[in-house]
Amino acid sequence: MTALVAALLLASSPEPVVSHRRVVTEDGASLALYRYLPPGGGGARAPVLLVGEIGFGRPLFDLHREGLARWLAGRGYAVYVAELRGQGRADPGASLRAWIHLDLPAIARVIASERGEPVDLVAHGWGGTLALAAAGRELPVRRVVALATPVEAEVPSALAEAFLAEGGHFSDFAASPGGAWDFELLFAMETRFPPRTLAALRALGTRDLSRGQSTEWLAWMRTGDLPLDDGTTVRRRLREFDRPTLLFLALGDGFAGPELCAPLRGESKADVRLRTFSRFETGDDFSHVSLLLGAQAPSRVFTELEAFLRNDPIGGEGRAR
Amino acid sequence: MRLAMVCALLSSCAATRFVPLPPEAESHRAKTDDGWEISVTRYRPTGPPTGLPVILCHGISANARNLDLDERHSLARWLAAHGREAWTMSVRGAGDSDGIDAEKGRPPPITFDSFWRFDLPAVIRHVRAATGAPAVDYVGHSMGGLVAYAYLSQGGSELNAVATLGSPTRLDWGTGLETWLRSVAPKVVSPDVMIPSALGAHAAAPFQTMVDDGPFQRFFYNPQSSTTASWQRLMAYGTADVAGGVALQLIAMLDGGRFQSLDGRLDFKRDMAGITTPVLVVAARLDRVALAPGVKDGFRALGGPKEWLLITRANGAKGEYGHMDLVIAERAADEVWAPVLAFLNRHAPR
Repeated sequence: MTALVAALLLASSPEPVVSHRRVVTEDGASLALYRYLPPGGGGARAPVLLVGEIGFGRPLFDLHREGLARWLAGRGYAVYVAELRGQGRADPGASLRAWIHLDLPAIARVIASERGEPVDLVAHGWGGTLALAAAGRELPVRRVVALATPVEAEVPSALAEAFLAEGGHFSDFAASPGGAWDFELLFAMETRFPPRTLAALRALGTRDLSRGQSTEWLAWMRTGDLPLDDGTTVRRRLREFDRPTLLFLALGDGFAGPELCAPLRGESKADVRLRTFSRFETGDDFSHVSLLLGAQAPSRVFTELEAFLRNDPIGGEGRAR
Repeated sequence: MRLAMVCALLSSCAATRFVPLPPEAESHRAKTDDGWEISVTRYRPTGPPTGLPVILCHGISANARNLDLDERHSLARWLAAHGREAWTMSVRGAGDSDGIDAEKGRPPPITFDSFWRFDLPAVIRHVRAATGAPAVDYVGHSMGGLVAYAYLSQGGSELNAVATLGSPTRLDWGTGLETWLRSVAPKVVSPDVMIPSALGAHAAAPFQTMVDDGPFQRFFYNPQSSTTASWQRLMAYGTADVAGGVALQLIAMLDGGRFQSLDGRLDFKRDMAGITTPVLVVAARLDRVALAPGVKDGFRALGGPKEWLLITRANGAKGEYGHMDLVIAERAADEVWAPVLAFLNRHAPR
């Protein structure tokens, strides 16, 4: 009887239909694309593409069946989570530039064939910054929610620099007693997570960078810009960026500090609204990954994110440029 | 239970006792061009002088005791022990400086413009006259850093090198507090009155040990870095009422990130590009008053030479810092003040 009730409850819950497909880029690299369709199919709204931090895979958006992907799908959105080269189940990548020139165009083609274009983009971290640089060019985009996406490329901290200089091995965080502590300082400082979330993310959601990616990422931070293959640069592209954007800043972010992200307002052509929470107001400063997986992420971040996608008023007042 | 609470309250009261200035501290008065007297306190170097005198200026709702809380938490005494003559100042309306008194020719309002236009130049003049120094260095905490930015941006030329600690040049980051300040402050604050913030701080000080994670800890300091006892003392005798004119002028920074004179004619931020005085800009990762992006905004606006220092464990600090930790933290001497002094020394006149 209990099993029957459980089965009925499960069948009646609005669980999204999750599917996975391989996407092959023009140069033959294999990427992963996960689709979360709401029970009704989610046809009424623009599809939402989630692009996460370099080195992090799908668990950033869907860990133990919790996260932004399912949260949005549960509210009627067709959601796509991309794993670009070097992330999750995608092929390794030698260069970050390939994200812009090859990976995101391939992902965009698949989504356009399934749902039409443009997409609403949720971009996270430095990986999200690459997606912003592709927005309106290789990636047709309507609105953007940016979560801790640095515009002013700068080494965020000595610890972050050491991490990348040593090759960007996320597995090292699990290899030494201090590793978990360092991981927390960089990505999850002083914020609240549901039990075991952080350890699970570290174990399941990260992947060692290639030497090429870590070297290129560090050079991007040290020089302030990332030259691209078409003669442009990430910084130059961001100055032309013009999509309506809601930018969340995380005060406790040790890897993409809010001081590096905030200049999107003013430096780009976009109408950028800022949203910042602090422990004083909400009990949480938020950090790099807690914007997506923290205990307060659904109630604070996701709700405002979705309101922005719907073009509803949101709580922040940081709109003036 | 009641007995425990009474004991806690009594020990709290003991911790908030007033700690007088040390005997070696000399009280001075600097006269401004508009007739006000500014309280300055001199701390002579304890050994051979190693550089220029350093003026230290506090933030909003504070006084000079922020820079000399007690023997152990004193940027002023620490600098003196390292060979730098230190001078703390309280801006008008704070500490022992003159306050509003229309009958004595000191009418309201007090504005931020009063600080950079009159108070700081008067203190610089006084220190130079007293010491014979050709120029002075300067360290400003919070609004104290903004005073230096405004002074330098409008052509002030008597500061040799400057360090600002948690000094934001814009305040609009999409927080709920902004929304509240924007909507409430202009309705309830008059430019001509003093907001009794010090009274509130004095009243709340004895109760601080009873709260582990209260609003003060969350907003002003981080227990990882500062003790509750230090915070209590700061509340007890390091606070000052806020002039309504100052509050309104700084709250205007919420509007589009402007940092300008009260009448809007002077754009300090734009003019900061012309500053050539060396400036070290210090921010704290978990400063919830002067958010790091706001402090970095000032760094960007500066002409240079300039340096940026972010205090965080990821950069080697032993704990995260909040706004007041920059001046009262247990390890501030090593983690903040030492880099500040090193910067000032690097830019010593040749």
